[in-house]
Amino acid sequence: MNLKKIEVFSKDELQKIHSASLELLSDVGIKIDALDTRDLLKRNGAEVNEKSLFVRFPESLIKDKLKTVPNSFKLWGPDGSFHFEVNTSSTKFATIGTPVKIYDPTKSSGVRKTVLADTIQQIKIVDSLENILCSHIDVWPNDISYITIHSECIYQWVKNTKKPYGLGCLGRLASQDMMNMASIIVGGEDELQKKPRFIGFMNPTSPLHLPQIMTNGFSVFTKYKQPTIIAPEALAGTSAPVTLAGLITQTNAEILGSVIVSQIFNPGAPVFFGTVSHITDMRTGNSAMGSVEMGLITAGIAQLARYYKIPSRGPGCGTDSKVLDVQNGFERLQTLMLAAQAGINYITCAGTYEATLVESLELLVIDDNLAGMVQRTLEGINVNDDTIGIDVIKKVATSEVKGVNFLAEKHTRKHMKNELYFPKLVDRSRRSSWRKKGAKDIIVRAKEKVEQILQSHQENLLPKEMERDLLNYMKQVESRTFEDYKKAEGLMVDKITLPDGIEIKEK
Amino acid sequence: MSLEDKVKELVIEWDEEGLKELCRSVIHNQEATAPELLKIIGKIMKFIGDQFENEEIFLPDLIGSAETVKKSIDEVLDPAIREAGEEKETLGRVVIGTVESDVHSIGKDLVASFLFSNGFEVYNLGVEVTAQEFISKAEEVGARVIGLSSLLTMSMDFQRQVIEELERRGLRDKYKVIVGGAPTTDEWAGEIGADGWADDAIEAVELVKKLIDQ
Repeated sequence: MNLKKIEVFSKDELQKIHSASLELLSDVGIKIDALDTRDLLKRNGAEVNEKSLFVRFPESLIKDKLKTVPNSFKLWGPDGSFHFEVNTSSTKFATIGTPVKIYDPTKSSGVRKTVLADTIQQIKIVDSLENILCSHIDVWPNDISYITIHSECIYQWVKNTKKPYGLGCLGRLASQDMMNMASIIVGGEDELQKKPRFIGFMNPTSPLHLPQIMTNGFSVFTKYKQPTIIAPEALAGTSAPVTLAGLITQTNAEILGSVIVSQIFNPGAPVFFGTVSHITDMRTGNSAMGSVEMGLITAGIAQLARYYKIPSRGPGCGTDSKVLDVQNGFERLQTLMLAAQAGINYITCAGTYEATLVESLELLVIDDNLAGMVQRTLEGINVNDDTIGIDVIKKVATSEVKGVNFLAEKHTRKHMKNELYFPKLVDRSRRSSWRKKGAKDIIVRAKEKVEQILQSHQENLLPKEMERDLLNYMKQVESRTFEDYKKAEGLMVDKITLPDGIEIKEK
Repeated sequence: MSLEDKVKELVIEWDEEGLKELCRSVIHNQEATAPELLKIIGKIMKFIGDQFENEEIFLPDLIGSAETVKKSIDEVLDPAIREAGEEKETLGRVVIGTVESDVHSIGKDLVASFLFSNGFEVYNLGVEVTAQEFISKAEEVGARVIGLSSLLTMSMDFQRQVIEELERRGLRDKYKVIVGGAPTTDEWAGEIGADGWADDAIEAVELVKKLIDQ
């Protein structure tokens, strides 16, 4: 049978957290900055306090709106030749993070700023991997203007991969650009809604706050039925109670509230029940993504997502290490394995380290191997007459040839590929063979794999008309000013900071 | 389908009976001689060996194919060559086994399979093989190389004893003696006066090729 899921709550405990979250939603509610969203929620039965901007959700409204949330959906690549399904029972792996630097051993600091060329390389690598199914704007192109990042990245996406793509719900205007460009690529809005291409990230700000820009973008993504990841990044001890049960209760309310908003925006819009929450390190005040507690929080959210029958998203490969060392290795596998064993359906953050602030393409290809190992673990042990193989045991054990073994048995050949996962980057050779091949550690082997992928990767040829329309659209985006964005989002401030810490400044 | 393709299909499918049958009928119908069939088989085993080295196939694929081929060689092709009074072409003959008091066979069998796949004529004597058995088989078949395997620190010393026995009989220079097995090392091979040591089956093939060329 498949591996049993790790559970961190008993039935009663789960119920208790559920009830406490409902109490938060009905007594306090969620602060929602966007006026039009508040109005819409009011018309749908929520109670709005226009002074505090808090929107309270009565239990009956929550129960009613949860009914339209899909428990499975599919995601497609640009040309529709590749797709995968997200549901409440399977496990899929992807990237996501906010790397603004990339591993570079030639620099004394070991890292350098990321540029668009790195973003493109990451898309190409993910396109070639077996287990990592989706890339997102995570490797940040520091060398291009902030206002064109989404359009530039979508253009690179369509040219360099067969897999779907993820983008932040970065406001109404940018999100609408994403939908318009995707519609050009797939041949219309209908096709885009039928076969979604994009995942949107929607991060409530803890505690209990939906910021304006994100909510604006969220409304566009849900309108086009592109799946959105609702994932608070609450930190135990700073933006949430230090108790894990407290943090989970609070973030459960944040996620549930956002899910209800999504279903009011567009009933049936696909969402992920997500988390990136972890803890505050009480010595430094820093967040600790490689902590075991992050794994426990992720497991709790996975269990709640199953309770609500909504596909879940959680982080794996989380580490606070600044280098490619043993800490980096054990933290990334520990968080990955725990997320998988807890039943998270979409596990993210492949290829990142230092709390996802740094990317390493080497780690990305290693994580593809780790994902394979984890997938194999989840499959557990398959038991039937054929896998027990009593006949082959009898045959080999009683063979008259002394020292005969199972290697050349048909039973071995039939089952070896299903039973044994072969992580290609992992070294299992004898010392002298390993030395003969250059005595390479896994980072060196991974680097070779990265180079090999990048050398052989083929760009997608775009139809001339599509290319022309995309480039024209990008020109339109380029001609905008920062003021245009602020107006579109209903913001009249000089400087804002997004939840992921990226500052938006004047061009 | 060419004869080579037919043979290849049976080898890859591990169809022992099918391959024997094909070899018999090909020889009977004078489509090809036994030495010609051996050449075809050698080419196919080289192809499979390359696939293995390139990590396109796994160990059982290689070993199973080698065992399939070995059955046809032992039961059909070798007898046919002997009957015709011809001498079999070979890269060299190797006698191999696990030394006395040790019953571990898998590593040694891998070495035997790899040598066989690379065109050597291999006499695999099994496990718990005495010095006497190694030497008399080597003398009987005209071997160039004797391979001694040991997986236990306890049985390692029997590798030395085979070499000492060869010296006692004045046969030491006639053979290249190689040793292997998990606890053995290059230094150990030097200490007991062996001609070479290899860490795994792939290296063992390179070692034997090098020693035979000397």
